[in-house]
Amino acid sequence: MTDRASTYVLWIVVLAAVGLVCTVGIVWGELTGHHRLGGALIGVILLAYSFILLCLRKGGFTSV
Amino acid sequence: MYKRLLAGLLAVTLRLDTLIARVYPDDFNPLYYTGGLSNLFLTVLVLSGIFLFLYYTPSFDQAYTSVQFLTADVPYGQIIRGIHRYSADGFMIVILLHLFRNWFTERFRFSRDEPWISGMMLLTLTGFIGVTGYMLVWDQRSEALVAMTANAAAQVPLVGGWLRHALFGGAGLTDLLLPRLLFLHIGPAVGLYVFLLWHYTRIRHPKVWPPAVWTLFALGFVVLLTGLVPVTSQAPAVVAQRPQTLAVDWLFLTPYWAMRFLPPLVLIALAVVLIGYGLYIPYQLPETRSELGLKDSGVAQVIDANCTGCELCYYDCPYNAIVMVPSPSPGVTKAAQARKLRAVILESRCVECGICVGACPFEALELPRLLQKDIHERVLTACQS
Amino acid sequence: MPELADRPQPATGRRGPKIVGFLCDWAVASEGVVRDDGTMRDLPNVTLIKIPCSGFTRPAWLEFALRNGADGVFVCGCPLGDCFNRYGNNLIGDRVEQLRRRLERQKVNPERIGALFYGKHAGAAFVDAVRAFSERVAGMPGPAFPARKPAPATTGQGPAASTPGPAPQGGQSGAPAGREGT
Ligand code: HEM
Ligand code: SF4
Ligand code: SF4
Repeated sequence: MTDRASTYVLWIVVLAAVGLVCTVGIVWGELTGHHRLGGALIGVILLAYSFILLCLRKGGFTSV
Repeated sequence: MYKRLLAGLLAVTLRLDTLIARVYPDDFNPLYYTGGLSNLFLTVLVLSGIFLFLYYTPSFDQAYTSVQFLTADVPYGQIIRGIHRYSADGFMIVILLHLFRNWFTERFRFSRDEPWISGMMLLTLTGFIGVTGYMLVWDQRSEALVAMTANAAAQVPLVGGWLRHALFGGAGLTDLLLPRLLFLHIGPAVGLYVFLLWHYTRIRHPKVWPPAVWTLFALGFVVLLTGLVPVTSQAPAVVAQRPQTLAVDWLFLTPYWAMRFLPPLVLIALAVVLIGYGLYIPYQLPETRSELGLKDSGVAQVIDANCTGCELCYYDCPYNAIVMVPSPSPGVTKAAQARKLRAVILESRCVECGICVGACPFEALELPRLLQKDIHERVLTACQS
Repeated sequence: MPELADRPQPATGRRGPKIVGFLCDWAVASEGVVRDDGTMRDLPNVTLIKIPCSGFTRPAWLEFALRNGADGVFVCGCPLGDCFNRYGNNLIGDRVEQLRRRLERQKVNPERIGALFYGKHAGAAFVDAVRAFSERVAGMPGPAFPARKPAPATTGQGPAASTPGPAPQGGQSGAPAGREGT
C-alpha cells in the first residue's frame, strides 16, 4: 500500500469511529428523550460518511 | 462590454473549478451538479413537507398551535421542521449557483433557451413558495408578510385590487386566508414539477442527482444545522396589532426588508425588470457559430442509405435533437437491410456539436462542412508534414 | 524537414514523434498555443485539429492516424463533468478506453492513444500534459502498428510498465494516459 493510500485509510478509520460514537449518542438521545441531539448526530454521521466516500475515492479504493 | 464581463466571469468560474479540483476529483465537483443538488433539495422539501402537512391545521386559531405541537411534542418533529426550513434555504442557494454557473459558462446558448426560460419560471415560483411558507406559520412575521404583500399588491395600477383578492381572498383577514395560503404554498410546489418536465425536454440524460458524496454532505449539513440552531416560531400573530419587527430570511424575504427603504411599487417594478431581464438573457447575444469564431460545420445530416436504426446517436445527442422513426424501406448497405427504424434530425434543435457523428458506428452521420473526408485529409497532411 | 512518412525506424528523430491531437472548440483556447499551420507553438511535432466537440471524434479516426504514420494520437475535451455539450467528453473518454483495449489486442501500445481534459484557460497545463505524452510516445520503439509478420523483438513492446517518462499522478485531472483512477 502506498503512503498516500494509508493516510486515507487512517482518515476512513477515524471517520468511521466518529460515526460509531454518534450512533451510540443517537441511541442515548432516543432513550433519554434528547431528540435534538439525536438529530444533530444523524447530521454528523451523514457528513462523516460523505468524507469517507471522498477518502475512498482519493485513496484509490473506489473508481468513478 | 457585456461580452467582456461574461468572459471575465467565465475565467473566474473555471478558476474556482481548478481550486475545487485540488480537493475533490473532477467528477465530484459540486458545481458540476448544481441542477442535481437543486433536485435533491426539492425532493427533501417534498418529503419533509408531506410530514408537516399531516400535522398542520390551516385556521386562525389552530395554525400556530399545530406548528408548536409538531415542534415540541412530536418526536423528531423539530428536526423535520428544521429540515424543511433549512432545505428551502439550501434550495435557493443551489438554484442561484445553478443559475450563475449556467450563465457564466454560457449554457444559455443555442438550443438551451428552453431550459433557461423554464429555469427562470422555476426560480420565480420558488421565491413565491418560500414566502407563502413563512406565512403559514401564522406567527407575527407571517402576519406582517401578509399585510405587506396585500398592501403592495393593492398598489399595482389597474389590477391591484384584483391581485390582492386573487392572493388573499379579499381585503382584511378572511377566514379562508390560511387554507388559501396553504394552497398557494403547495400548489406552486406541484407546479415546479410541471416546469421541471419542460426543463428537461431538451436535456438528454439530465444529471438529476448529485454524487453520493454531495448528497450525504447536503443532507448531513442540513440535519446538523437543524440540531444546532433549532427552528422556532416567533410570538403568535395578534390580529389587532401590527408587528414592528421582521426576522429576515435573506434568501426569501429580502424584498420585505427592502420595503423599509423603498416604496412597494418600486420593488415590484424592480422584480419585473429583473425577471424580464432574466428571460432575455438567452437572446441577448444572438451570435452564430461563425460570429463566435467557431467553424460553422452545419447541422448534422443522416446518410439514410447507411443508417441501421441502431439508436446510438439517439441516445447520445445531448439536446434530444434526434428522433427515431419507423423506416418504410431498408437502407442500402448490408448492415442497413433489416432496419425497423431510422434516425431523423430535428434541425431546429441541432447545435452542430457532432456528437452523433462520433456515436454512429455505421458512418451514417456527417456534419456537412466537416466531413469524415475532411478529417482524413487533415490527419494525412499532419502525418506527412 | 525530415521525411517521417513510411519510415521503418523508431520515430525518435530530431523533431520527436509525430502526434495528432483533436482539440475541442470549447476546451483549451487555441490562441497562443497553436500556430497557423495547426502545429503547437511549443511542440512542433504535435498537430492539432480543431473539432466542434471532443465527442465528435470517431475512434476510427484515431486508428486511421496511427495507421498512417502518427506515433501517438489524443483527444482533448473540457474537464470531465463540464462538457459544454453535456457528455461529449465522457463519451469520448469511454470510446478511447475501448479503442485502447481493441488495439492492444493488435499489439499496439495503448499508451499511444490519449484522452486529455483541460478547460478553456488551462492552456499551460495542457501543453505540459501534451509534452509528457509526447515524451512517453518518443520512448516507444517502432511504428504504432507492428510490421505484418511480427518480429520477435517487437513483441517486447507490450508491457507498458517499461515505458519511461513521468508516471501520471493519481487523482489529477486529465492525466495523459486517459481516464485516471477509473
Ligand atoms: C427548481 C429549480 C431547478 C432545478 C431542480 C433544476 C434542475 C436542473 C437539472 C437537473 C439540470 C440538468 C443538469 C445537468 O445534467 O448537467 C438542469 C439544467 C439546466 N438548468 Fe436547471 N434547475 C432549476 C432551476 C434553474 C434555473 C433557475 C435556471 C436559470 C435560469 C436553470 C437553467 C438551466 C439550464 C440553462 C440548464 C441546461 C444546462 C446544461 O444543459 O448543461 N435551471 N437543471
Ligand atoms: S450535431 Fe448531432 S448530437 Fe449534436 S445536436 Fe446536432 S443532432 Fe444532436
Ligand atoms: S447511430 Fe448511425 S446507424 Fe445508428 S441510428 Fe444513428 S444514424 Fe442510424
